[in-house]
Amino acid sequence: MTEESILTDEFLRQLINVGEADILVGVPTYNNAATVGQVVQTIRAGLLKCFPRERAVIVNADGGSTDGTQDLVRGVSVNDQRYVSDLPALRTLHCISAKYEGGPAAGAALRSILAAAELLRASACAVIAGDSTNLESEWIERLLRPVYRDAIDLVMPLYRRHKFDGLLVRTLIYPMTRALYGKRIKEPYAAEFAFSGRLGSHFLGEEVWQNDAGREGSEICLTVAAMTGEFRLAQTYLGSKSHVDSRSADLVTALRQTVGALFWSLEANLETWSSSHDSHAVPLLNAGPELTVEPLRVNRKRLHRMFCSGVTELDPVLRTTLSAGTLAELQRIAGLAEDDFRYSDELWIRTVYEFAFSYHKSVISRDHILQALAPLYRGKTYTFLIENRDASGEEVDRNVERLCMAFERLKPLLVELWK
Amino acid sequence: MGLPEDPLWYKDAIIYQVHVRAFCDTNGDGIGDFRGLTQRLDYLQDLGINALWLMPFFPSPLRDDGYDIADYKSVHPGYGDLDDFKTFLKVAHERGIRVIVEMVLNHTSDQHPWFQESRSSRENPRRDWYVWSDTDAKYRGTRIIFVDSELSNWAWDPISKSYYWHRFFSHQPDLNYDNPGVRDEMWNVMKFWLEIGVDGFRLDAVPYLVEREGTSCENLPETHAVIRELRRRLDGSFPGRMLLAEANQWPANLRPYFGDGDEFHMAFHFPLMPRMFMALKLEDRKPLTEILYQTPEIPEPCQWCLFLRNHDELTLEMVTDLERDYMYEAYAQDKTTRLNLGIRRRLAPLLDNDRRRIELMNGMLMSLPGTPILYYGDEIGMGDNVHLGDRNGVRTPMQWDGGWNAGFSPADPERLYLPLILSPVYGYQAVNVASQKRFGHSLLSWMKRLIRIRKSTSVFGRGSIEFLHPDNHRILAYVRTLDKEAILAVNNLSSSAQAVELDLRRFKGNILIEMSSRNIFPRAGDSPYLLTLGPYQFYWFRLRRI
Repeated sequence: MTEESILTDEFLRQLINVGEADILVGVPTYNNAATVGQVVQTIRAGLLKCFPRERAVIVNADGGSTDGTQDLVRGVSVNDQRYVSDLPALRTLHCISAKYEGGPAAGAALRSILAAAELLRASACAVIAGDSTNLESEWIERLLRPVYRDAIDLVMPLYRRHKFDGLLVRTLIYPMTRALYGKRIKEPYAAEFAFSGRLGSHFLGEEVWQNDAGREGSEICLTVAAMTGEFRLAQTYLGSKSHVDSRSADLVTALRQTVGALFWSLEANLETWSSSHDSHAVPLLNAGPELTVEPLRVNRKRLHRMFCSGVTELDPVLRTTLSAGTLAELQRIAGLAEDDFRYSDELWIRTVYEFAFSYHKSVISRDHILQALAPLYRGKTYTFLIENRDASGEEVDRNVERLCMAFERLKPLLVELWK
Repeated sequence: MGLPEDPLWYKDAIIYQVHVRAFCDTNGDGIGDFRGLTQRLDYLQDLGINALWLMPFFPSPLRDDGYDIADYKSVHPGYGDLDDFKTFLKVAHERGIRVIVEMVLNHTSDQHPWFQESRSSRENPRRDWYVWSDTDAKYRGTRIIFVDSELSNWAWDPISKSYYWHRFFSHQPDLNYDNPGVRDEMWNVMKFWLEIGVDGFRLDAVPYLVEREGTSCENLPETHAVIRELRRRLDGSFPGRMLLAEANQWPANLRPYFGDGDEFHMAFHFPLMPRMFMALKLEDRKPLTEILYQTPEIPEPCQWCLFLRNHDELTLEMVTDLERDYMYEAYAQDKTTRLNLGIRRRLAPLLDNDRRRIELMNGMLMSLPGTPILYYGDEIGMGDNVHLGDRNGVRTPMQWDGGWNAGFSPADPERLYLPLILSPVYGYQAVNVASQKRFGHSLLSWMKRLIRIRKSTSVFGRGSIEFLHPDNHRILAYVRTLDKEAILAVNNLSSSAQAVELDLRRFKGNILIEMSSRNIFPRAGDSPYLLTLGPYQFYWFRLRRI
């Protein structure tokens, strides 16, 4: 009876009124009054347009908002007392909102949404960020239709981004998940995604929720669960990604939510990742332009400076985390002039793999390990910016692909470390 | 027993719709007749209904089941004669059953002498009794109703070499109500039957009486003027008689047919019916309450007529495209069951012969505001035969017993006007009155109890309605109130058990008495009133402050 401890009585009471649902859209929020009204209205429009006959529900899992977020969600319900004249609706569309316990946490929000989906026996579910600022109703169809109609278990998005946006995903999360689990999902950590009730229930029953990785990086854990289980995966192109920049404004927080969860997944899935040798494409259901290349001002000097000072200041930590050879190479490039600085793919991959192993061994506090990765990531970012300064979208794609291949090629290093 | 003296009798009525042809044949010609219907009045009295609506029984070529009338002042010889009708009427009245007859105002058969005269020459005095034109380009804004069989509302008459207007089949030319002679003559027809003693008329296809260029030729002010004139004449000479409108229209367009209480006494609520089915399939009260919210108030003496099924297809004209698509998928996946914009099925097959759903639908029919109409045979769960053409599949002989011709006729089975239902599930040997009379738990016995409860109070027929809005959308709950009497109806539209919390604070202090068992439920108070209902279960509670 896991659900009893996840859902508050108030949440449960609202779910009883919803009954059974075919489709559930979860919206995690925390003080998102500025955006959530538009978000849930767009979700509603998407549901009524694409799934007019299905029993759908919008479930807002709120982390304790005090700005009226919950009222905005509840206000878009469609029922026999509230008509939406321009959106014909066959049936009631519940928009429910409940606080989960323990304050704002992405994992707790997702867990509440998963528990709600299981109780309502929803066969297709999506999660849409409450702080999204450019959600389109078509996204609802693109995410949910493959799950609902074609028995896909996980649909991850592809966004249209600037070539220098989402670099943590492109230089670490994507290449490493791909190398580890053999599935080429370009956005394994997304704010919008869809999954089957089957996958949701499977993931809800995993032990991930008991540790930091689950609490902070549950989204990526869900992706990994889908990659490592008998689940059908797909990607779909959505469009430009735009959120109120709050989720990962702090790099260390972002690292905890993504890299920490990914490192943690190595322990739980040793047999799977250590035995997979190459990667396979995941079907792309809708294609679209992914990278934009308009000029963008980036303070590269600061990145370089933070890398160099980080290597120096974190020397005691890096000595326990990295092999002598890797550390020496990092110290060498930290001593180079900015114009000569280059953080090679191979060195970056060795760094990441050795960090992952240290995380596993908990040579020091795992959180300190993740914090120590931050300046090194900035160094890699610097190199990426330099290398792709004049690159077209296709060239950036090729460079990312080259990095991915290198992650796969060097994966035996990680396996060897683990042994 | 006789008839109670009450000019608003139709508000408390429970109407039973029957075709003479389909009920009971006494002379062995395979066609039901008035003598047979008279013999079966005991059954109807026992069922508890107190009004009969007879489908057209006038002389007719029967190309549209009698809605193509060739003589308004007589009885089709297959059904008997005028004396048989008079005897039937007298016996019905003695049993407290009023009789409403069908009156097809809009059109006649093309075999009617009026039309024969009208087409004979352009100079004939009755030429203008129908709508003629040298071109088929007039009234282009008018929709075609029988889309499956008619391409135009105009038909070419080779005799008079011009086009005539018809809203239904081309063998049913529309009368021209701009002609005062037509209006006078139709009143004379009605007066003829009123003088014999009929209690009311169901006026067929009333929105289409008058045509005007540049309009949809429906619901025109001139049509309302015709109806007001008929009503004035009716009230002047025959007070206490009733007019019932067949106007398959949206609520806003239906409302004018009540006028200021000076047009129809009653009108069918067409949009409600498909939404009852929709709500049941969706397990969601929204479609139902939505249409009732859109239903305007009507003058005090007026009343809605509610029905689940009738002799026509389950019409989907008054639903949106989205709703129609849903209804087809939900109730008519077998495309042979689709006809025009509707579904030609009886109640039981529509509901998969699910007794719980049949009961729930009848429960709502009897408790929502209006006068309920039962279609013959539905009280025993009769089936249909979609392989018979047009709407004949829902017009097969009444199934009285499991014997020869289901007790309907002594004729050779081959002579029956339509074949009996023979399927293993709905065939007359499985579904018939005699077998259901023997068991207290049969659908027939249940219907009798339901009707008895409905008739035990005037609240259902005359009371106001107030919807409750429990958060559980699968529960439809409303309070019917008349003076100091209040009844709470709670319906579970879902196939699964449901819990619901009702806000009954307004009735704080009342105890709830379940009307079928008279069991007492806890008193209403300040807290939400928790009820649990089984799949498709419904309750009627009398609210009493004791």
